[in-house]
Amino acid sequence: MRPGTRLRLVLRDLGTGAAFTSMAVSGQLPVWTLALFALALVCALAGRRVFAKREKLTALLLLVVAAALGLNVLAGAVNLVVAACAFAGLISAHRLLSAPDSATDGQVHLSGLLMVAGGAALSGELVYGLFLVAFGVLSSMALALGVVEASVPEGEPVPVRQVMRPLATGVAFAVAGAVAFFILFPRLNWNMMGPRASPGLGAASAGFSNTVRLGGTGTIKGNPRIVLRSTLSPDPGKEALDAYWLGRTYDIFDGQEWTSAGPQRRGSTFMVTLRPGSEDLVHQRVELLPAYGARTLVALETPSRLGNAVGQHQAGSRRVGIQEQPGGEVRFTDPALAYTYEAYSRPPGGSGHELKDLPAEEQDALLTIPEDLDPRVAQTAARVLNGEREPLAAAQKLAGWLQRELTYTLELSGDVEDPLANFLFVRKAGHCEHFATALTLMLRTQGIRARLATGFFGGERVDGAYIVRAGDAHAWTHVLVPGRGFVTVDATPPAHRASQSSVLLQRLLSFYEAVEARWRNSVVDYSFRDQMDVARALVRPPQRRGGDDSPSRLPPLRAFGAALVAGMGAYAVWRLLSRFLDRERPHEATRFVDAVEAQLTAARVQRLEGETLEDLDARLTREGHPLSPALTPVTRRYLEARFGGRPLKQGEASQFLGGLKRAISAESRRRAS
Amino acid sequence: MSTSVRQGWSRLRARMRPPRTLKVTRVGRTYLVVTLGVGLGALNTGNNLLYLVLGLLLSMVVVSGVLSERCIRDLSVRRVGTDAAFAGEPFAFRWAVTKKRGHGFALTLSEADSPLTGEGGVGYLPAGVDHVVRADLTAPKRGPVFLTGVRVTTTWPLGLFAKTRVFPLEGTLLVYPRRGYACQDPGEAERGPVGDAGNPRRNDGTGDVAGLRELFQGEDARRIHWRKSAALGKLLRVEREREERRTWVLAVDAGLTGEELERRCEEVAALAHRLIEEGHEVGLDTADGRMRPAAGSAQERRVLRALAWLGHEGLREEEEAA
Repeated sequence: MRPGTRLRLVLRDLGTGAAFTSMAVSGQLPVWTLALFALALVCALAGRRVFAKREKLTALLLLVVAAALGLNVLAGAVNLVVAACAFAGLISAHRLLSAPDSATDGQVHLSGLLMVAGGAALSGELVYGLFLVAFGVLSSMALALGVVEASVPEGEPVPVRQVMRPLATGVAFAVAGAVAFFILFPRLNWNMMGPRASPGLGAASAGFSNTVRLGGTGTIKGNPRIVLRSTLSPDPGKEALDAYWLGRTYDIFDGQEWTSAGPQRRGSTFMVTLRPGSEDLVHQRVELLPAYGARTLVALETPSRLGNAVGQHQAGSRRVGIQEQPGGEVRFTDPALAYTYEAYSRPPGGSGHELKDLPAEEQDALLTIPEDLDPRVAQTAARVLNGEREPLAAAQKLAGWLQRELTYTLELSGDVEDPLANFLFVRKAGHCEHFATALTLMLRTQGIRARLATGFFGGERVDGAYIVRAGDAHAWTHVLVPGRGFVTVDATPPAHRASQSSVLLQRLLSFYEAVEARWRNSVVDYSFRDQMDVARALVRPPQRRGGDDSPSRLPPLRAFGAALVAGMGAYAVWRLLSRFLDRERPHEATRFVDAVEAQLTAARVQRLEGETLEDLDARLTREGHPLSPALTPVTRRYLEARFGGRPLKQGEASQFLGGLKRAISAESRRRAS
Repeated sequence: MSTSVRQGWSRLRARMRPPRTLKVTRVGRTYLVVTLGVGLGALNTGNNLLYLVLGLLLSMVVVSGVLSERCIRDLSVRRVGTDAAFAGEPFAFRWAVTKKRGHGFALTLSEADSPLTGEGGVGYLPAGVDHVVRADLTAPKRGPVFLTGVRVTTTWPLGLFAKTRVFPLEGTLLVYPRRGYACQDPGEAERGPVGDAGNPRRNDGTGDVAGLRELFQGEDARRIHWRKSAALGKLLRVEREREERRTWVLAVDAGLTGEELERRCEEVAALAHRLIEEGHEVGLDTADGRMRPAAGSAQERRVLRALAWLGHEGLREEEEAA
């Protein structure tokens, strides 16, 4: 195998791998298809084409996997589109392992094309775009090398290096052309069904459940995946929001786990009002991403109204109903990959509840403590409070004590008989649920109503929105303060409230999220309206909003565009001029002989095919032609000027030409007479 | 059809022919079908990523057209030709191709509008280099083949389209009769070998050395072997065997046409080849004239040329007149 051929096959196989990965990043392909394709790709890259001798027989394997996929589709385990994409990947895998001839190459590239088209239907992720470009580049190189290889005679090397430069230029222009086409091609339909969400390759974080059980290990705090993205209005403009995003609350603790009091609400609706609003509500447009993995709506504390929910499915977007649950939880009624909804929240400072507004069973639950609660809990609370009875002050006093006396850790010993006593008096270390539980129960032992709240703490600003990570999951305490309602008091040390994952990893993910947000806004959600904006911006400059914006020091975008066009125009003119100026000038003697030959042609002097002026002169001399005496010195002078190093002097050419012209005229007159 | 009409028709065809022809390859057809499918999918669903894929596919088509055009621009081709072309068997044919500016890739050369089959290729052609492209062409039958131009095709860069440019380049290729085994006996030689065993001059030839003997009075001094003579002290002459060269004049009857003429030409070519290989002299007698017997590869070439023109005498006159 020639060196170029080996490289071509590697590029072809890698391109196919990129195409398959563009589908795989959606996280919807069955795991066994991923494994089979990966195995085939590794074998192909290692040069082991194990199906080369048994192509038709091994094609039967495709029937088997087709049957398996078909059964999965019938059983409802796999979407039909997903099954088709997986089958395309497996066909490609079979072709990768077959003998690499021209027909196989074509089939591999074709299946690659089908896979990137399938990937577009399955995934809207940024990485899809990267793998699409990778597929385009790698497959183009493989195709080009194949074309050149077919023309290189047997035994000669394939000129790989020479091929790459013009091809790289071509591919760069193709990508630029694709972007231009994407921007300019009119979107003819308004039914935008782009894949807005896909499960992705990572596992979704643990969601909200009906109970919170103390114990186990806290791994979620180290998960940097982004689960929530929200735009706020009015925009606080802060880089770190450090806000509590409430999911649900818990009232009853049995010594091991928390549950909620209150009846199960029935019926689905599109808008839920949890508590009366006020004029200064904060509006949120929330996206719950596939990494969220739960159906509980989350909103800034304290949520007032939630609704207008839309679920993102493979087939597109669909409006989703919501349902109120015990513990102030609001849930989506239908499962989906991701959700968007709107929420309105009261500003921090209290929920506005009065005790009498709460259901009777919930009022009772707010003071309930487990029967077998360790008496040291109440004693410790009383000792710390030292007679303080005002709920908020008492809660803050206890929270301060907990933060001072106990330490935060994610390394726990697992399930124990009395996790609270173990936390307070034995290990003296725990995570946010331990701190919140301790504070809540210590308050209750002193007759102060409190409950446990779970959700997220944080909010990192990325591209104008706020993101929340899985590691931001948190638990805290709601203290019922007369006149203000439930007020948040957090016993967890401040440094450990938000995500505990690696800072570098978080920064990388934030950067990725910023690029992903741009990708989503500029590509996935690009619409006819955006095209009109682009056209409008080209026609006239965008109006500056408000008069208080500081004027930009940079020229407007149009100026850059105009400068670019002018630069390209100047470059084109320069190229044209340089081509004109650099062209080879005809020798002066050549112009002279051209003029001589033109005169001879006009005088109808017969010339033989390919006869030079020298030959013509010799022939005319032999034949005794009347023009020969005039032509001979002209010919001699031309040869001297052209080859003899004696260039024609100023006016010498016209002198010779004049003499020849006179001789021709005399000969014409002689013939006429 | 008269010559002027044929030339006029050729000129008209050349004028009607566009400077470039574009043909979609098999891979290209599949590519276009997939592009159409992706386009329909994008329009139907409004999926922006499908629009992106569609844009990439269409851009590749445009880039493919631009790169292939750059590839076959500024090219010049001249015909180097062949040493000998026999009907029905591949013969080496060469063109010299030069690119004034830029690089050329995946160029395939063939003769346009001619019965010659086969093509040659060059994978990479740097600017300013006179590259000789070799091809194994095959001509179906004997006779002159008028060449009108050289077809240069490239599938660069992706093999989706084959862009072709025809360089007008007139010429004539004379195809000799098909080579084969001479089954027939050449008949009686016109002249036998000069001398036989009884001839006293039988060792006065130019063949292998037969021996040395003393130089007699009046014999040619150029036959003296000077080294041996010096060693022995007397003049010795070299005796060489005479070759048994005979002379045949092969004939092609005047009345033969069509297949009969072709078969006879092939037989005569094969006989001439065999006899000349054996060192004999061969002449040719045809309706066109009589070729004097001679030996050697030049004579074989002359015989083959005469046979190739048989039946095409009118064209030969035109060719010679031109």
